[in-house]
Amino acid sequence: MKFGMRYLDLREKVRQVRINAIKGISEAGSGHPGASFSAAEIMGVLYFRILKHNPLDPEWSERDYFINSKGHSAPGYYATLAVAGYFPTEEMKDLRKLGSRLQGHPVMYSKYLENHSLPGVEFSAGSEGIGLSVSIGLSLANIINNRNNYVYVLLGDGETNEGQVWEAAMTAPKYKLDKLIAFLDRNSIQQDGFTEDVMPLNPVRDKWLAFNWNVIEINGHKLEQIMEALNKANQVKDKPTIIIANTIKGNGIKHMANNPKWHGKAPNPKQLPLLLEELVGDYMIAPSIIAGKKENYEEKIKKAERAGADIIHLDVMDGKFVPNRTFLADTIKKLRPITNLPFDAHLMIEKPHLYIDDYIDAACDIITIHTETCNKEQFMLIRDKVLSNGISLGIAINPESNIPSWIIPFLNSIDVIIVMSVHPGFSGQKFIPEITSKIASLNKFLQIQGFKGYIEADGGIDASTVQQVYDAGARILVAGSAVFSNNDINSAIIQLRHKTNVTLERNLLRKADENNIRKDWLIARKHILIPLANELGIEGELNEL
Amino acid sequence: MNSDIKYADMRSAYGNTLVELGSVNKDIVCVGSDTTDSLKTKKFGDKFPERFFNIGIAEANLVSIAAGLAIGGKIAFASTYAAFLPGRCLDQIRNTICYPDLNVKLVVSHAGLTVGPDGASHQQIEDLSIMRSIPNMKVITPSDAVAVPKLIKNIVETQGPFYMRLARPSSEVIYDENDSDFKIGQGNILRDGSDMTIISCGLMVYKSLQAANNLKKDYGISCRVIDCYSIKPIDRNMIIKAAKETGSIITVEEHNYIGGLGSAVAEVCCDEYPCHVKRIGIMDTFGESARDSELDLLLEKYGLSEKEIERNVLNLTRIINGNLS
Repeated sequence: MKFGMRYLDLREKVRQVRINAIKGISEAGSGHPGASFSAAEIMGVLYFRILKHNPLDPEWSERDYFINSKGHSAPGYYATLAVAGYFPTEEMKDLRKLGSRLQGHPVMYSKYLENHSLPGVEFSAGSEGIGLSVSIGLSLANIINNRNNYVYVLLGDGETNEGQVWEAAMTAPKYKLDKLIAFLDRNSIQQDGFTEDVMPLNPVRDKWLAFNWNVIEINGHKLEQIMEALNKANQVKDKPTIIIANTIKGNGIKHMANNPKWHGKAPNPKQLPLLLEELVGDYMIAPSIIAGKKENYEEKIKKAERAGADIIHLDVMDGKFVPNRTFLADTIKKLRPITNLPFDAHLMIEKPHLYIDDYIDAACDIITIHTETCNKEQFMLIRDKVLSNGISLGIAINPESNIPSWIIPFLNSIDVIIVMSVHPGFSGQKFIPEITSKIASLNKFLQIQGFKGYIEADGGIDASTVQQVYDAGARILVAGSAVFSNNDINSAIIQLRHKTNVTLERNLLRKADENNIRKDWLIARKHILIPLANELGIEGELNEL
Repeated sequence: MNSDIKYADMRSAYGNTLVELGSVNKDIVCVGSDTTDSLKTKKFGDKFPERFFNIGIAEANLVSIAAGLAIGGKIAFASTYAAFLPGRCLDQIRNTICYPDLNVKLVVSHAGLTVGPDGASHQQIEDLSIMRSIPNMKVITPSDAVAVPKLIKNIVETQGPFYMRLARPSSEVIYDENDSDFKIGQGNILRDGSDMTIISCGLMVYKSLQAANNLKKDYGISCRVIDCYSIKPIDRNMIIKAAKETGSIITVEEHNYIGGLGSAVAEVCCDEYPCHVKRIGIMDTFGESARDSELDLLLEKYGLSEKEIERNVLNLTRIINGNLS
């Protein structure tokens, strides 16, 4: 709740954006997957968390504006609008089709263009380098109208080749437009190749600083960093802000990522099921800081962050629900300033409903309680408090428990289910093998229920067990001793990722076989598969390509 | 200068009208481009600083900011010299303003050859052609300073993008203050006639009236003269009626003879009532510098004088008569 972003729900929505965008592009046979994917988190954070807007009333007079200057990100933009509720996601199949509202590049909505534009689109893009000027005009109109609303604008890095962008860059500080916030989608690739080859932009940060902007630089795929940057931007007075979001073009599909060839190309429709499988296969590594040497949590968090952990798993034990005692909310509160990485607080405590405020106050991003520790009424109280504070809610079940039936009606408010694969209370226990099939059947059950959240495997997850729980459907992988008992945290996390990636690639190859596109897939995916070839047993096959 | 004739300048009329309308309609805003003194929009800025933005020598930015203001609900006037908008900002005008049909009014001055001393770089003679080819764009060319406020009021009241072209020099006043019949999509018959119709716009309207006078006096030829201030939408009915009633048409414009008023009139005739249309304009060439005292000579050199109009009317009359006999 550091930023009230309900992290896991947001992450899932962004995944839905990618899924819908790639479906549309694949159906259309053309479009720009690269740009759609590099900006997915930026647009997701804006539309799902930040913008004052109303999908049911797109012209609401009190709304904030989003101007998408990089119009070729249309599929991602449309998918974002669809997931946000502006139009049905099924319509994505009409992308770029004759008579469709989903034109190749976004068209500002108006009555006269209602058959060619979508309610909610504020600007006709397609020609590059214009959106920032338009955003300035909008900001000026807001000032005249005494409106306090924000104007957010998304710029592609390639489009800043255009001189007009720098005309606009000069203008916004003149008018002290502190409600104007630009994102630079710095994926470093444009149509003809890498930006620094086509027309060097670096030092890009210095350029914007020289133009008198407030400049914030982040990893544009990290939801928590986008949230923090926007938080900071809100506090700046009398200056416009640009958030230089370092991104990877095509991020989300490995063989498209950072590859200029995928700037404006649609995937072969036969590969679509595999691409969707890859997107659904997205996972998180969550180091648990109680493992390894006692205490020194700060150091562990910092190391885990440097090693590329996705979230930080915090095992809270009260010495009552579990025999051991670790730390409580006060410690989390002290640790909070160290990192922006989402805090995944796993409460192994009795009577969590009595203490839930402390964990909300400690700014956890995910709060998980054990279903063994509360009844329905207590759960509802916890749920309301957690969700209303923009925190992801989780439930955890012990190895011998199953999810109680009373919880089923609440599944749509639950973002994560932790399945304990050891008995909670001590680190360093051995993985209980039966848990794999438990996860698999739970996963099947949850899919039938339409569950949108994640399954988290916790306990004894290491290089030898990670593949089976991933295969069974766990997408948050808590790693304690496997990471922190290791002197080299970096390589421990890399090894976990490697093992998980091998499993994902194996599943994709199986799917390729099912779809009779093994060779096509191997060709498209070759550079990703080479480092995994030995474990996948495809060295010979790759050599023959 | 003839002392009987009143002269007035279109730019001042524009600036004053903007102030007048702006004090009533708070949605009117104005964006300038380091030419606000020259365009006379500075007055608006002095009166309403919160609705006036001088964004410097950056025309693409100028028109796009105007677009943003229009998206924000404003009636956005963007003004600078004609030389620097239609060509330089065609992309922004087309994609950002016209496609979404935004309420942006591009009012430019210094159109045509009569920019004078600044030379061909500043003599905008292709704008009517460029602007009228964009869907949703409406194109207006007032013929004197009295018509300007009336037409500005019209374009404020009409939703959507406009391009209005004004001249630099003070020019002869044609209209009476009480003339009020200006509507987008219409022309004004300033002089009736039965032998031929002269359709003109801008500063060429006065010259056409002069030529018509002379033709009547010297040759007994009766020319109808139409001020076609609305180039797009154009007054099709008035043109067809003229073609039917006078048989042939001569067009006169301070613009390349390709693509402007003459082409627009010819298109109507081709579609609806084929007849002889002779276009008088700059013959697809660039202009040159001339001092203010030489403006009439400059126009004459490029074929835009009363004498040239008269010569063409006589020529066309001969052709038609020859054909008839």
